Amino acid sequence: MIAQEQKPMDEILGYLEGKQRIVTMGCGGCATFYQTGDKKAVKEMAEKLTKEGKDVTKIFLPLGISACEIDMSSVFLEKNRKAIEGCDAVLVQSCGEGVQVVREYLDDKMGLAKSVYPANNSMGNVGGGPTDFKETCQGCGECELGKIAGICPLTACGKGLMNGPCGGVREDGKCETDPEKDCAWVKIYERLEKLGELDELLKMREPHAWSKMKRPRTFKIEKPISLGRTMFGSIPEYVSFGLRKPFTPKHEEKAEGE
Amino acid sequence: MAKEVYSELMKEVEEGKFVWTGELEPEKAGSVESVVQAAKDLKGHVIACNVTDSPQSFATLSSLVAAYKIQEEAGMEAVYQLRCSDRNRIALQADVLGAGVMGIKNILALTGDHVALGDTPDAKPVYDLDSTTLSYMIRKIVDEGKDLAGNEIAEPPKMHIGAAGAPGAAVLQAEAYKVKRKVKAGAEFIQTQVIYLPEVLDNFFKELGDLGVPVFVGIFPAKSYGAAKFFDEAVAGVDVPPDYLKNLKKTKEIKDKAKRKEEVDRVNVEYFTGFLEHLKDTPATGCHMMAVGYPRIIPALKKVVE
Repeated sequence: MIAQEQKPMDEILGYLEGKQRIVTMGCGGCATFYQTGDKKAVKEMAEKLTKEGKDVTKIFLPLGISACEIDMSSVFLEKNRKAIEGCDAVLVQSCGEGVQVVREYLDDKMGLAKSVYPANNSMGNVGGGPTDFKETCQGCGECELGKIAGICPLTACGKGLMNGPCGGVREDGKCETDPEKDCAWVKIYERLEKLGELDELLKMREPHAWSKMKRPRTFKIEKPISLGRTMFGSIPEYVSFGLRKPFTPKHEEKAEGE
Repeated sequence: MAKEVYSELMKEVEEGKFVWTGELEPEKAGSVESVVQAAKDLKGHVIACNVTDSPQSFATLSSLVAAYKIQEEAGMEAVYQLRCSDRNRIALQADVLGAGVMGIKNILALTGDHVALGDTPDAKPVYDLDSTTLSYMIRKIVDEGKDLAGNEIAEPPKMHIGAAGAPGAAVLQAEAYKVKRKVKAGAEFIQTQVIYLPEVLDNFFKELGDLGVPVFVGIFPAKSYGAAKFFDEAVAGVDVPPDYLKNLKKTKEIKDKAKRKEEVDRVNVEYFTGFLEHLKDTPATGCHMMAVGYPRIIPALKKVVE
């Protein structure tokens, strides 16, 4: 998911200076997960802006409806066409993808030239949870995990080395750039040792093919995903998982009890 | 087929000689005069000199230019250091081909310290290649006349490839695997990071086993207490023995400059005599003297090994 945190309010208010009517829109995807664009976050943002004397229209996107997925989020934009037409600025409480997908839709599909501002700073792919996350994949388009013990050094190594560790490993196996961060190559070494595959370390990993990282990247799928394929088709799994689990860190309680 | 030898350095290796290399650091300056002078001072003491490439990511004058100048103006063979931190594979290839034209016969393929550690920490780090894949790339250029993508290179340069080793690495086994990997990828000699402790040397060689290429052990007789302290504190994987540090610190109390110099030399000769006596019983086939600006110490140390 795309990690994100809300920008300092001063910065947001700076963008909105001199603009009276504001539409603020949330996101039911990552921004809901990180509580930067869920219903509560949108409400709180609206309250703060109202306190500053602004006239605010809120657009909530429910869980599963991401701002960046325009087929779904545009439904909410169209429903609020009047408010958007009459506003001075649109604030989008999502990652930068969401902000730009909304901006493009306003420009190209709704024919509305509006100032669009980000409410959040997004920091890219992270995984983990429930409260601590880390970046382990940069979405390079040419996955190397199969060659390197399931740890991506392009992301986890400070230098992104395909052949490490470098000479900068600290005594405790941390990175020269940050005493808090593990050396990815020490982790790879330890894991290969456990797997009994240390000979893998004698092999040279070829330089990574960066051609799939040519920016800006575009991506095409044959047909859009349907609700039938996603949610309805998976009802048995939702039931066996327990629908409320994702919202309460149950596994944490369980881990403590073990 | 007999191994082709392109450089004086590798010629000495092939002749079975104990090899001495030195080190020169181009400065953050628009001149290489001091480097050329230092090369002249080292002439006769070492067979070749490494020319550093923005060490510790402190941006300095080009190592290629300085390497060329010491060969031309001081008659000192260069080991041209080349880092992956600042160049992608295209720029690295351009520099390798250029080095061939400039008469460079030895390249040391380095990953390079992270740019965040240097004096220009906002620079975008590159690391498109690393020391292993850079060694492999140069090997391919020299042996096959091809670049990494397989494109033909007309009149490929002839040069030797060296790589670094870090005997004091925190996770020595992982480092040893990497050194072996670099040799497999094409490195023909290894120069190590500075070592002060004989046991570090022994552990390193034990981990390496039979590497199949010459290893030149890095030593750093410090010209002053400050220089030794810097290595101890700032350089990853280098521990300077406390007694040696203490003896150097004591020299600071000597007011007379000439006497102080004498005492610093005495401390170094004393310490390194023991170290080099030990080194003679290891598979090391040379020493890389990182005694920057301290050529007067070399003859006394060379005597120990000879």
